Amino acid sequence: MSDFLTTLLSSVIFLPALGALLLCIVPIRSDRFIKQFSLAVTAVVFAITLWMAWPASSANEPGRFALGMANMQSMVLHEWIPSWNIYYFLGIDGISFPLALLTSFLSVLAMGASWPIAKHVKGYCVLFLLLETGMLGVFMSLDFFLFYVFWEVMLLPMYFLIGIWGGPRREYAAIKFFLFTLVGSVLLLVAMLMLYFNSDLRLLGPQQLADCRVVETKDAPEVQNILKDAKPVHTFNILALAEMGQAERSPFAQALWLGKSVSWWAFLFMFIGFVIKLPAVPVHTWLPEAHVEAPTPISMILAGVLLKMGGYGVLRFCYPICPDAAYELAWLVCGIGTLSMVYGAFAALAQKDFKRLVAYSSVSHMGYVLLGIGAWSAYAGNNYNADYWMWGMNGAMFQMIAHGLSSAGMFFLVGVIYDRVHHRNLDQFGGLFAKMPLYSGISVGIFFAALGLPGLCGFIGEVFVVLGCWSYSTALAVLAASVVVLTAGYILWTIQRVYLGAEYKGPHGDAITPITFRETAIAVPLLALAVVFGVYPKAMFDYMSPSIDKTVNALADWTRGHEKQKSPGDIIIGGVTPRIIIQEEEEEKLNPMMNDE
Amino acid sequence: MDTLPLLLGTAWLLPLASFALILLFGSRMGKAGRGAGFVATAAIVAAFVLSATALTVWLSAHPIEAPAGHSSATADSAEHGAAAKENHAADTHASAGETTAAKKIIPPVAGDWYELGAFGTKRITIGYYIDALTIAMFFMVTMVASCIHIYSFGYMHEELSEVTDHQVTLASGQHLHRRGRFHRFYQYLSLFCFSMLGLVIAGNIAMVFVFWELVGICSYFLIGFYIERKSASNAANKAFIVNRVGDFGMIIGLMAVWTGMGTFSFGDYEMKDAQGRETMRPGIFSQARPAGNDFQLQAPDGMVKFAKRDEIAEIVQKSENAADAELQIEKRIDGWRKDGFGYGWLIVAGLGIFCGCVGKSAQFPLHVWLPDAMEGPTPVSALIHAATMVAAGVYLVGRFYPVFTPEVLMVIAYIGCITLFIAATMALVATDIKRVLAFSTVSQLGYMMLALGFGGWLAGIFHLFTHAFFKALLFLCSGSVIHATHTNEMPRMGGLLKKMPYTGITMLIGCLAIAGAGIPWIIGLSGYYSKDFIIAQGLVYQHANPLHGWLFYFSVAGAGMTSFYMFRLWYMTFLGTPRDKHVYDHAHESTPSMLVPLVILAVMSVISGWKVPFTNLELPALLTQAIPSGTEEGAVSNLTKFYIPAEHLSHESGVHFFATGIAFLMALLGFVLATAFYGTKRLDPNDARRTFATLYRIFIHKWYFDEAYQKIFVRPALAISGWIAWLDKNGLDWIADNSARLMGLCARLDDWFDRKFVDRLIDLVAAGTYRLGIRLKALQTGSLRQYVMLLAVGLAALFMIMNFYWNFAMSKM
Repeated sequence: MSDFLTTLLSSVIFLPALGALLLCIVPIRSDRFIKQFSLAVTAVVFAITLWMAWPASSANEPGRFALGMANMQSMVLHEWIPSWNIYYFLGIDGISFPLALLTSFLSVLAMGASWPIAKHVKGYCVLFLLLETGMLGVFMSLDFFLFYVFWEVMLLPMYFLIGIWGGPRREYAAIKFFLFTLVGSVLLLVAMLMLYFNSDLRLLGPQQLADCRVVETKDAPEVQNILKDAKPVHTFNILALAEMGQAERSPFAQALWLGKSVSWWAFLFMFIGFVIKLPAVPVHTWLPEAHVEAPTPISMILAGVLLKMGGYGVLRFCYPICPDAAYELAWLVCGIGTLSMVYGAFAALAQKDFKRLVAYSSVSHMGYVLLGIGAWSAYAGNNYNADYWMWGMNGAMFQMIAHGLSSAGMFFLVGVIYDRVHHRNLDQFGGLFAKMPLYSGISVGIFFAALGLPGLCGFIGEVFVVLGCWSYSTALAVLAASVVVLTAGYILWTIQRVYLGAEYKGPHGDAITPITFRETAIAVPLLALAVVFGVYPKAMFDYMSPSIDKTVNALADWTRGHEKQKSPGDIIIGGVTPRIIIQEEEEEKLNPMMNDE
Repeated sequence: MDTLPLLLGTAWLLPLASFALILLFGSRMGKAGRGAGFVATAAIVAAFVLSATALTVWLSAHPIEAPAGHSSATADSAEHGAAAKENHAADTHASAGETTAAKKIIPPVAGDWYELGAFGTKRITIGYYIDALTIAMFFMVTMVASCIHIYSFGYMHEELSEVTDHQVTLASGQHLHRRGRFHRFYQYLSLFCFSMLGLVIAGNIAMVFVFWELVGICSYFLIGFYIERKSASNAANKAFIVNRVGDFGMIIGLMAVWTGMGTFSFGDYEMKDAQGRETMRPGIFSQARPAGNDFQLQAPDGMVKFAKRDEIAEIVQKSENAADAELQIEKRIDGWRKDGFGYGWLIVAGLGIFCGCVGKSAQFPLHVWLPDAMEGPTPVSALIHAATMVAAGVYLVGRFYPVFTPEVLMVIAYIGCITLFIAATMALVATDIKRVLAFSTVSQLGYMMLALGFGGWLAGIFHLFTHAFFKALLFLCSGSVIHATHTNEMPRMGGLLKKMPYTGITMLIGCLAIAGAGIPWIIGLSGYYSKDFIIAQGLVYQHANPLHGWLFYFSVAGAGMTSFYMFRLWYMTFLGTPRDKHVYDHAHESTPSMLVPLVILAVMSVISGWKVPFTNLELPALLTQAIPSGTEEGAVSNLTKFYIPAEHLSHESGVHFFATGIAFLMALLGFVLATAFYGTKRLDPNDARRTFATLYRIFIHKWYFDEAYQKIFVRPALAISGWIAWLDKNGLDWIADNSARLMGLCARLDDWFDRKFVDRLIDLVAAGTYRLGIRLKALQTGSLRQYVMLLAVGLAALFMIMNFYWNFAMSKM
């Protein structure tokens, strides 16, 4: 069974790389065949992930995703670099698997959208497939080192894909993308090493070790080897790091610099690293540039998948491993999230370039993810009730998938019109409804999904996040809710300028032809899924929520334990309470009663 | 009763099916998509039949028993009518028990279809909440919608062929030619009907919000139906964005409800608890007005707890475990509630939800979108912007009524009153026939809000129904006129009665109905009854709260203005001499498909306030069944000391007699003035315009709201977005670029250092070696003796060195 799982998960990750290798060594001249071959590879990968996602006919079918299971499943563990305790450790749960599925799905569509690419097709396809390997690896690794390797593997193909196949300012954009991400990577590396050298497997019990797959079973002889070791046993195992981070006497709690703990610094470094990827204000400026210059399919991948890695990282690493820092810095996470939402929406309103507008809308929409994750509504003031946080976090996770669909769709649709008229100036469109009715209809649908219209996927994530946030901070929740007006503003204005109106106002008007079958086949699945998830979001929550609820519950329990240790004076109460009713005298009335008890 | 969800659910989903069919196959349905009209009409008529069936099912289960409402001005209520005038507060309490005892509480049919999400102990569902109000709304919406679907066959027939849009001029100077979009129109209508019915059947406030947005988007599509017209797409954007401002408030209300009550469900619902047992949990209404508290409003536990978060934090810190803390908190909740904690959040929730209603029902200050929304085809104006969607705000206030505190009701009353007045003033001077009707709609919606704020639940909701019929009628009549004359401007019409008798007469009926015409104290058109209810409630309210009496006076003035501008409209359109010969000559009566709906709606406008002969059935009595428990007794605000009078007080014969008199007099006054100005031309409207020049300017510019909003909101928002975009480019990017440049500088510095120092050193070493080589070249003399000598000396030296090191190395081993 283990062999089967190894083959299964490895093939999901490495099939694209294998395809890339084949393309490299087999001399093929036909560009068309190269594209078809690459499309086939991505399709096979998608088929495998889809097979994994399909509800099992019988219980406990290996490889199939077990619905309702909160823990990691389909785990695969092999030694890789034993002297550094590095393992080839893969697995999926409700947080990573939907994202992996999204990745494989969008890769197929993006490959389909790559048909107009004419320059160095072989190189393009090789890099594209390598990129897919990197992305899938990031979502499926459970070893921090392995994760980091995939994280970096993904970076280089992206750099070249933007830098070679991009628009006029591609080099600037590519280097900017590369440098920003590299800064994040370096911080991530530092945090990873900090955590590694402070980790100590001896602190965990036999059961925990078995749960984290450090050992096969809790009775295995290795358990005693670990526990009786004279020196600390370090680990890159993400699950074990999380167990340690949430332990009562966490090894990461010791002070490091400036009176702050290892955990605090590690959180900060990882958070910055992930937030650059997300991206959030103020480290988002690489995004509009990269999107504007990147070719359409790469924009789709960038918006649909790469941004999600930021959210995934925060959810998978920052919070479970460094809960105390996350708790202390929750205001920062939420603040940055809300700032991104408002800032991105305002910036989008001012854009003249179609692609830039969509890029800023991404900044705005990904802000919801941070807010949903960060709104730590399990505090003493509500008896550590985790319910509202669960809504926020599930909403954030849903928002990632929803945004993956809608933003990829929007970038594709911008690409469709760009391929025809070769400009993106919003003021020089108009009247497309008459010339491209089907295209315009699909566009309006996808843009409304981004607008957060009920019945489409964007709505669920946004509303759940906002609902979860109120209990943490009413002020932030109100600010976040106000974004709906701005979003409606820039989306409707865009629709008006591009699709409505009497006639087309820009150059190359003759080139506007109705949408082709290939383009329809890419756009329609995105819209269809946006509708399905908007109408029946449980289809997605059934996969995600057990794992997310477990994470939130664990953190809520952790909060209770954590605050018990502290003096009552330091408790964070949650948001600000506008006391509308209380008058001075009533407060006095209250006091004697308090004395009685 | 179990069949109700099925019946209404099917009625709700039929238009959706029609929408999906037309979306996919619309253009292939018959010639130019004509079949789409039949599909959509069939769906909505079937929905109407189902709704009517549901109504009979409901009535057979809950027959209307005792005569209620205005027709029951009998002796038994007269006796505590006297008490009512003495002290309202006392009466509120005295009659409380009596009323609840008298009124049998009819439980709604509530349940869930499926879950949108369920995490922890909370969930959001798609469900239903069916009571008499739901059923009446279904009946009304499907009926008006059916009429409008049929009417549109005639009105939209141009769209069946190539259309020339005379309002759009292309760059080439020609008018726009485009393909007809008949099927698209019906597609949007179907989507709208689905959304509207979903809003009505919704079992929870989140689902209301979902369909709230969906009706908004349908409205967006239909206002902007003529997508080529800039004015249409502007109006559509404006409508949606202004509504979103209201929705922003509504989201705040939703969040307050969600955090304070832990559910969105209106009614009580079953849900599995942690142990997996099905338990009943209280919905919003039960939490705000628990049966244990005699259905009186109180802050729900969650809101109390939320208001006392800091104290709870202390308790939690001190207690051993979660359960223990929970117990202690439970013990304290009632005390906190008595001290007023949590009540503020109830107000926030109420105001928030009401914000949504302000947007949707075009109330001041968000009324600005409705007049512009008249850019849409007239049937749309009739259905969406008169009869149903804009009334959704009023419906929601009625639905959410149990949760509104007296303070919120006062805000509602004030907003309603301001709206009804300013909209009526705008209607006085407008010349565009549809705009007059739009202003009138805003004004009438203000009436409904005012009535609800007065504590007159029945009055407000009743007016919603009667208004739906007569306003749909009026719009359809105006559509008929526009269709015949191709203009909206009343100054170009006149004398059309001869050409369009059916339209003229039905429109006159509509005008009479909205003005509240009737034979006082005996019988009248539908508006006569519903307006009486409102005036009577206002009278009681004014009596209870003399400080807020002006609300009542304005509403009475509004009644007069309504009558005036409606008859002004009718006179200008149908009587007098034709002012534009060309228009008059081309005018013609509309086709039967347009006239039949007019007649049906005219009949409904006349009779919808009447009792069905030989039964107790009448609209107000049916609606009475849905009056939320606990609200019928009125309320007292502890914060600001004012009273929401119980509604039954307004049904006392004395009050009603007086109210009917006032309403009738005002309507008559308006009618007489309109006749004097526009009918018999005894007075010249231009004189009045000159006399009140300033007022006229304010009214004709719609009180300058658009201009002000442009200055206060739109431009600043665009300016901020401009700044942010600038900051992004020149601020943040500047930092990034310059730090990159700095790095480049460092690199060049490093490069320079490398060349000048590191490389120099290497070069020096190399040069030194070279020079050494040159020097050593001198040794190469060619003299054999010298070589042998050097060899010998060297060898000896080597041996000595090796000997020394060898031993040293050996000793180490």
